[in-house]
Amino acid sequence: MERIVGIDLGTTNSLIAYVDDAGPQVIADNETGQKTLPSIVSFLPNDRVVVGREAGELARTQPLSTIRSVKRFMGLGMEHVSAEDRQRYRFVDDQGDTSSLVRFAIHDRQVTPPEVSAVILRALRDRAEAALQEEVRKVVITVPAYFNDSQRQATKDAGKLAGLEVIRLLNEPTAASLAYGLNTKEEGLIAVYDFGGGTFDVSILRLHTGIFEVLSTNGNTRLGGDDIDQSIAERFLLTELAEELRHDPQVLNSALRATEKAKQVLSDQDETVLNLAVPDKGVQLSRRLSRHEMEAAVDEIVARTLEPCRQALKDAGLETQDIEEVVLVGGSTRMPLVRQRVGEFFGRTPLTDIDPDEVVALGAAVQADTLSGRRRDMLLLDVVPLSLGIETMGGVMSHLIERNTTIPASVKEMFTTAVDDQTAVAVHVLQGERELVQDCRSLARFSIPIEPKPAGVPRVEVTFMIDANGILNVSATDLRTGLERSLEVKPSYGLTDEEVERLLEESIDFAEEDIEQRLLIEARTEADTVLHAADKALRQNAAFLQEGEEEQIDQVVQKVREACAGEDYDLIRDLTEELSQVTTPFAQRIMDSSIQEALGEKQLSDL
Amino acid sequence: MPTVVRCWRCQDEHIPQVFCPACEALQPLPPDIDYFTVFGLARDPVLDEQALANTYYDLSRQLHPDLHQTGTAEEQEASLQNTAVLNRAYRTLRDPVQRGQYWLELNGEQLGKENNKVPPDLALLVFEVQEQLAAVREAQSAGTDDARAGLKSELTQVWDDLDDRMQGLQQKLAANFSKWRQADDASDLLSGLKRVLSEMAYLRTLTRDVEKALSIF
Ligand SMILES: Nc1ncnc2c1ncn2[C@@H]1O[C@H](COP(=O)(O)OP(=O)(O)O)[C@@H](O)[C@H]1O
Ligand SMILES: [Mg+2]
Ligand SMILES: [Zn+2]
Repeated sequence: MERIVGIDLGTTNSLIAYVDDAGPQVIADNETGQKTLPSIVSFLPNDRVVVGREAGELARTQPLSTIRSVKRFMGLGMEHVSAEDRQRYRFVDDQGDTSSLVRFAIHDRQVTPPEVSAVILRALRDRAEAALQEEVRKVVITVPAYFNDSQRQATKDAGKLAGLEVIRLLNEPTAASLAYGLNTKEEGLIAVYDFGGGTFDVSILRLHTGIFEVLSTNGNTRLGGDDIDQSIAERFLLTELAEELRHDPQVLNSALRATEKAKQVLSDQDETVLNLAVPDKGVQLSRRLSRHEMEAAVDEIVARTLEPCRQALKDAGLETQDIEEVVLVGGSTRMPLVRQRVGEFFGRTPLTDIDPDEVVALGAAVQADTLSGRRRDMLLLDVVPLSLGIETMGGVMSHLIERNTTIPASVKEMFTTAVDDQTAVAVHVLQGERELVQDCRSLARFSIPIEPKPAGVPRVEVTFMIDANGILNVSATDLRTGLERSLEVKPSYGLTDEEVERLLEESIDFAEEDIEQRLLIEARTEADTVLHAADKALRQNAAFLQEGEEEQIDQVVQKVREACAGEDYDLIRDLTEELSQVTTPFAQRIMDSSIQEALGEKQLSDL
Repeated sequence: MPTVVRCWRCQDEHIPQVFCPACEALQPLPPDIDYFTVFGLARDPVLDEQALANTYYDLSRQLHPDLHQTGTAEEQEASLQNTAVLNRAYRTLRDPVQRGQYWLELNGEQLGKENNKVPPDLALLVFEVQEQLAAVREAQSAGTDDARAGLKSELTQVWDDLDDRMQGLQQKLAANFSKWRQADDASDLLSGLKRVLSEMAYLRTLTRDVEKALSIF
């Protein structure tokens, strides 16, 4: 029996797990012993990539070519990208004619979100292969329960691009319930509350002798710890900065890292210090932050997770008191405020026995074990999170499959022609709960080829099938001839099959960097940035230099340059640090003066 | 006479069933199979809902794609198609209104035909709800917070009323079903059954509209 492993492809962190005789376990990196792999990918100019913690470090100096939280972009079009994200990254302009799928502009190439995710998947696979000493090809990948069809398809494409066979996409909250082994219960109703870095999901399940039946699911694919960080940063850091600095990708990136760190500390302590230092931009801020202040600022975000909980309960036809167990999943549930709010809402203390970082990956491994045919005592009955339908007259969406329908689900719909000799019928597939087409998410368009006949005579039956992955498949049969008709389905926000093939071929030369080389390049890049900044400052602001300062800086610059020619990355890093330090007072003086200038201008305009 | 089908694997001929009696391979269900038959039930709108759920779980354990992942392409396809049929059948039969409507269709009766007028004692309610929904739409753009709060509590009240009525109708439906089952000649009961089902369908639509309106508060 070929092994199937489970992958939690998270917004913030990704993990890979498998099942052995001792039960499910997460596979740690052979070298570092780390179990979580930060979902960060940095693209270097030489067609090399860096993944994980090292990429996180590169983000400080190369924010534009380092993608974090790529999951937020999966299956989206450019029109769905927020203003903040547009400031954070560079995108390829919408070409208008073809689909407006998100494409990052990195160095001189275009990179789609599935390609970025594929890099993460490959790193996880390598990790598993090293640990298990065997080839790993088949995987279960988890997705937020509330992911729509395009987002699921994009995840599947990512697997394919990583050279993996995606046996199943599994909903994250459902995976968590499997990991908790709640099947020991004869009968029961549980709620899974999954609040991660970028997404929020809630699922209500009925357990019945080994069957995990999802009754309803709800959520928000754009709500998570990232929003908490953003909100803290805006409230306590960015307001202190000049307008143009607030939008600077490097400053923004550092501000978000600083707030995330402070937020995490405040899960265990009552007070911390919020620090923001971006020497090249002359930014240096520091302020005390209490848990109380932070909670007041982010309570609104936490409250936004309760509405989906209410809706999910309603869809399941249940009240809060019917729920016997609440399971917490995701890093953001470490916040005391979140635990408190969830506890109040459901009127019971939530379960937190399993590490919220690992629980989804462990559940994916359990499901992988079932799919590989090794166990038959558990069965998941999952649902489609959003209603599926087609566009009808007047721009109205007509539902074919209602949300929370158990999958696999299929429905047949008859199509005919409206005018004589019509040779095709166009179909527009949509997903969402709203009435008007413009308020729903466009999934795909296809056209049914038809032999020219008088109007109303042709009869073509189209089957819409949502498979066990929650992904839509369509097929058509000509009822007059009984023959299957092939359909060319064009995804609204996805890669076409040909594009996946092409990327698969190209991706071969997109090799991963080996670690030594990686650190060296990283150190050189960082040195380069600082050298560049120092050089520019010396040329433009020589007036601010003090006696002997230029010579002192020049000396270190020289040392850094020499080190960069060599291979010792530790030395390069140390010297870069030294250069930062000797230039800090100089940078501070430049900053002070530009602030005064800014204030001066303001006073003038106030007059 | 039931039609005979042929096993895709061993060519055995048998009446439609989930597993081939000769080689035990998973078989595709005939596309026109009725939902009662999927569950091995007689075509009877009166059924034990708990037993239905248990059969659903048992059949899921036999059919679900997760448990046929290592099978041949034919088995995987049959598992996918059959489970989709099973899920649709369960969704229809577990709900008394949908079950009733489906049963009428199987018996060549349509709900819509003679029952497409609003049932008289519902008419008033329909107008009332429509009026309130219009007020909500207005308040959306112009209303004060106080006005909105007032509307919300009124709408909630309407929802509760609709819910009460629905429960009443459900009892009526169950009673009608059992009467129908016991009667020798059920034709005169049919119209009563249809009326209840049609009222329920109306109430459903109204309830959904009210819920949609409530969701914006
Ligand atoms: N101790 C903590 N306190 C508060 N938030 C935390 C803590 N640890 C992690 N987080 C937050 O959890 C999020 C990541 O959660 P995770 O479950 O890994 O996300 P995802 O599933 O989206 O990858 C991040 O926003 C991170 O800041
Ligand atoms: Mg997660
Ligand atoms: Zn057979």
